[in-house]
Amino acid sequence: MSPQNYTFMFYGFTVAWLIVIGYVISIALREKRLREELDRVKRMVEEGQQTRK
Amino acid sequence: MKFLRQTLAVAAKDLRSEIRGKEAVNASVSFALVILLLFSFAFDLEPEQIRDIAGGLLWLIFAFAGTLILNRSFARELVNDCLDTLLASPVSGAQLFFGKCLANYVLIIIVECISLPVFAIFYNVRLPQRLALLFLVMLLGTWGITVIGTLFSAMTVNLRLRELMLPTLIYPMLIPALVGAIELSRVLINGGPLAENMIWFRILVAFNVIFTILALALVEIVLVG
Amino acid sequence: MRLKIIVTLTAIAGLILAWDLGRIFLQVPDEANQGAIFRIIYFHVPAAITSFTGFYLAMFSSIGYLITKDLRLDSAAASINEVSLAFASITLCTGSIWGRIIWGIWWTWDPRLTSFFVCWLIYVGYFMLRRAVDDPTARARLSAVLSIFACVDIVLVWKSIEWFRTQHPGPVLEIRGGGGMAPGMEAPLWWNFLALLMLATALTLIRTRQQAMKLEIDALRRHVHAF
Repeated sequence: MSPQNYTFMFYGFTVAWLIVIGYVISIALREKRLREELDRVKRMVEEGQQTRK
Repeated sequence: MKFLRQTLAVAAKDLRSEIRGKEAVNASVSFALVILLLFSFAFDLEPEQIRDIAGGLLWLIFAFAGTLILNRSFARELVNDCLDTLLASPVSGAQLFFGKCLANYVLIIIVECISLPVFAIFYNVRLPQRLALLFLVMLLGTWGITVIGTLFSAMTVNLRLRELMLPTLIYPMLIPALVGAIELSRVLINGGPLAENMIWFRILVAFNVIFTILALALVEIVLVG
Repeated sequence: MRLKIIVTLTAIAGLILAWDLGRIFLQVPDEANQGAIFRIIYFHVPAAITSFTGFYLAMFSSIGYLITKDLRLDSAAASINEVSLAFASITLCTGSIWGRIIWGIWWTWDPRLTSFFVCWLIYVGYFMLRRAVDDPTARARLSAVLSIFACVDIVLVWKSIEWFRTQHPGPVLEIRGGGGMAPGMEAPLWWNFLALLMLATALTLIRTRQQAMKLEIDALRRHVHAF
């Protein structure tokens, strides 16, 4: 059980978790951006329908 | 029979157009010569070592130079809406694809036949007495490159970064064929025992058969939808 | 409803992973030759299996799209491939770190790492293709064909690189698979696999919903600009 082995094992797990967390964060950011975009476009549609009335 | 006739018509059209213009073959051969030059700077090896890596070098050159021809394959039809006309014609997608495959195949073989002796001269590689077998390996390996390359050329024809996307997409896919061809070429150039390396022949043939069938089945979807 | 599924899956996956982490660190003894680092196999192998499962599931989803022309199947395929690519990246990184300990080098061209890297490259190409096509139907069509080609090719790539590398035995030994593990040590691996699979499913569901949102945005945009 050399300390060097433990260090690298720690690195290994850290890298794996960082990738997972990074990916989840990127998904969450995309979700936020998409929601904002969707709201914006829905508002555009409503305004368009308003002006036509 | 009709399938073959129309396929050959498409192939003849492409070959005729290329023979008259000679753009793609010239560019491809020049590129092959440039790569040969660059490799001479990259590797400074003894003759025995060169013989060892000759198979690999050769097929890298063939793959890179072949991509230039494959790129033009469907790209040349974009001008004047030729591609739409071809798709609207009675020629089916599979016939169009197979005809272009045949034409590309002939062109790439021509480039390879020019590059091989130049390679042998530049790198002092004595070509083996089993030259016929080496030529057979070239024929098999090139068909693999051609089938995948032509299909992906059809896939990327309408994309903005066409010239960039084609190499990126096809080289990982071609690895089984390239590895097989490289190993066989290495064995033939080094005079090794061919009997032990029959697995590579099988891989090459399997690759060619599987992907030719798959490509013919799916090309209609790629071209038309 | 869907949100509930996602949250439940994630919660269960998190619980299993936490419990497993406890088991891996506290109960499983160090392996004779490799020492502590071998515990990484408990992430490396499940991540690899999850990503491969994903790639082939995505291929079936793509085939389903080609038959039914339902864009939701294409969204599912893209999402599955994306999550699988993330897990493939984890596999490559953890494998590389393991190699650093066992063989002293960050990378080696051994059959499995090489084949996996090729697989990774093919799917990076898949996403480059998707980005380059604007029309949703064309994008779905082309990526479906690419997915089918990729999955068929991966088998050939694997076999050919395996034969290539065993003919030229390098200075290092191949990674021993899970076959040599004692029964007590193997269990956390399969539990982790289940957990990662659930996590992958949850992420896929989220991504698929995002793809559907994107399609809705595009459709609304066209609607707005049409008038």
